[in-house]
Amino acid sequence: MIVRTGLTGPFPRPETLVNATRDLDRGRTTPEAVEELIEGAERDVVALEHRLGFDSVTGGYLRWPDLFRPFAETWEGFSVGPLTRWLETNTFFRQPILLAPPGRTPGALESRLPPALRADPESGRVLLPGPYTFAGVLDNRSGETDEAVIHRLGRTFAEEVRDLRRLGFRTFVFSEPLLVVRPPEGTRAAAVVAGYEAIRGALGSATSIVWTYGADAIPAFPILDRLPVGAVGIDLAETDVEKLPPAPERTGLGLGVVDPRTTLGEDPAEVARVVRIAYDRRRPSVVWLAPGAPLDLLPWEPATRKLHVLSAVRQALGDGSRP
Amino acid sequence: MTRGLFPTQEIGSLAKPRWQLLGQRGEPLDDAAKEELRHWDEVTGFGAESPPTRDALLAGRAREVDPESVRDLGALFAIRFLETAGLDRVYDGEARRIEMYEYPIRQMRGFRFQGHVRSFDNKYYLKAAVVDEVRLEHPYHVDEFDFVRRHARAEPKLPITGPYTLADWSYNEHYLARQKGWKGRAARRAAQREFVVDVARRAIRPTIQALIEHGCRVIQIDEPAAGTHPDEADLVVEGFNAATEGFDAEFSMHICYSNYRDLLPKLLEAKRCRQWAWEFANRDTDGNDGYAVLRSLAEYGDTREVGLGVLDVHRDVVETPQLVAARIARAVEYLGDPRRIWVNPDCGLRTRSLPIARAKLEAMVRGAALARRGLEDPRR
Repeated sequence: MIVRTGLTGPFPRPETLVNATRDLDRGRTTPEAVEELIEGAERDVVALEHRLGFDSVTGGYLRWPDLFRPFAETWEGFSVGPLTRWLETNTFFRQPILLAPPGRTPGALESRLPPALRADPESGRVLLPGPYTFAGVLDNRSGETDEAVIHRLGRTFAEEVRDLRRLGFRTFVFSEPLLVVRPPEGTRAAAVVAGYEAIRGALGSATSIVWTYGADAIPAFPILDRLPVGAVGIDLAETDVEKLPPAPERTGLGLGVVDPRTTLGEDPAEVARVVRIAYDRRRPSVVWLAPGAPLDLLPWEPATRKLHVLSAVRQALGDGSRP
Repeated sequence: MTRGLFPTQEIGSLAKPRWQLLGQRGEPLDDAAKEELRHWDEVTGFGAESPPTRDALLAGRAREVDPESVRDLGALFAIRFLETAGLDRVYDGEARRIEMYEYPIRQMRGFRFQGHVRSFDNKYYLKAAVVDEVRLEHPYHVDEFDFVRRHARAEPKLPITGPYTLADWSYNEHYLARQKGWKGRAARRAAQREFVVDVARRAIRPTIQALIEHGCRVIQIDEPAAGTHPDEADLVVEGFNAATEGFDAEFSMHICYSNYRDLLPKLLEAKRCRQWAWEFANRDTDGNDGYAVLRSLAEYGDTREVGLGVLDVHRDVVETPQLVAARIARAVEYLGDPRRIWVNPDCGLRTRSLPIARAKLEAMVRGAALARRGLEDPRR
């Protein structure tokens, strides 16, 4: 069993940065001082990811207000809307409003990536919203059908991927909780596949992972298995591993094995047992171990402990071969 | 107590006046804070009931004033603010509370604070994990209620954070660890049920009992988390029932910014809940009837009172009395019986400045009167 580990969503801010950003809002510190702290915290996350043997690093995406804002604020056709609850959590995002067909602003995304990633893109992992989830959360006032928006977002992300590939990035994770929360069917499912076909054209030999969470993935496998990506990730806190269907072809499988909804630490041996069941049912080419959902549902310290669990599970599985 | 149709009530917190914030920190009042204190003293007359504290603050001697007496003055102000706006049921605007999670949790044992979680942008909340069985250190909100009871001329109504919300806003370690095997959805749900019921029985229930012993008759259980996981509506109910069973008091349940239909009919099993205090005005926009959801209550045959949110607490635009009356009339149409309706803001008005909150409350009271007259004389 080939096992890889890494983050698939944003990491929480450390308490020092929490305090500094609060001070910034109260006018008690400067943007420059906060930026310095953010860069330091991003370097800390990168160092932790390296230390734990992760295959690619993220820096935690600590500077992003939410998954969608970097695009809603910089891409053409968008404006930023009201605070909206993020799935079944006590966290919120600003709903993107699509006023016209979306178009990217070249270079805008790159400038919002953590400097620690830009300095070493080959090790970097780019986290992006998936086209289906992005289309599903926005307020579509563009006049286009939702299917057209999904497809167009796929093509727009393909352009981003192409540019980032030129810079040297080679691992891309698309966050797609809505694929399991509201699995698409019919023409909508076809639009999702078409969107990822466009992205595949830009990826070349790069690694692509679609990460789902927030609901049981089993009902969504008809669409998940159609996606032309390197791996699909599922949240094992929501999905019964015993019900995983066999894979139609040998691709990667992402397993969300630590749960950010609780601070309770997982037992690496128990997690390894469940991973082996998943492996036997799907026979994936690579197993990607990750948190089930973004770890920023936890404070910094418990989130860090969860990352150590990931590393311990990888060791328990035996690194690189079928135990 | 006999009341006319459409009595009015507050629903939660008010913004804390600047003079209170400065005063309880022992900082001298600036000109704006002094002006604010003088203005609201003129409007509501609260300062005359505690002249030494008021005068010391106005004289720049905040450092000589006990912070608790500043909080008392803040509570007194909020009571009079609500009463002189014309409300039938009042509290103290939660003048002594900072928020609705951390304070109750700190009155309990079995929790450990873990750090801050980002809510959005640069806004965070402190979150605790339950790491042992829940136990109550001592009943809370009792002194606060005693003060209100001694000073309020209108009927007091105490708001308290509900067991489901306290559990949902915490991490569950202790109860989840007791579940055997993989901690999947079924294990999490079973653990959450134990957690909610323990908070209800061991913490909320003894607190409610103490409050009732101190004369508290009307208690609003706040469950803002109820809409977060619609499939856990049965846990909301179980917590509510465990907290209130057998008590002789008027209980209401406040839920806001949720899809209420998703919570029905499970929610209706809350046995001792006499009133649903929900938010409606926020969703009552052009082309969308925010009160249509009341039809669902009628469809399920529920005949309890409704605390009708008629003020949007997230917008500065002050609703006209005519709009308030029209909203009440629509609710009457959906519910059938006007005697079931209490009139209130959608949620706590702390989101608005005091002048805006006051204007909204006055409009609400006038709107309720308008609706009352309209019903008595349909030609109006």
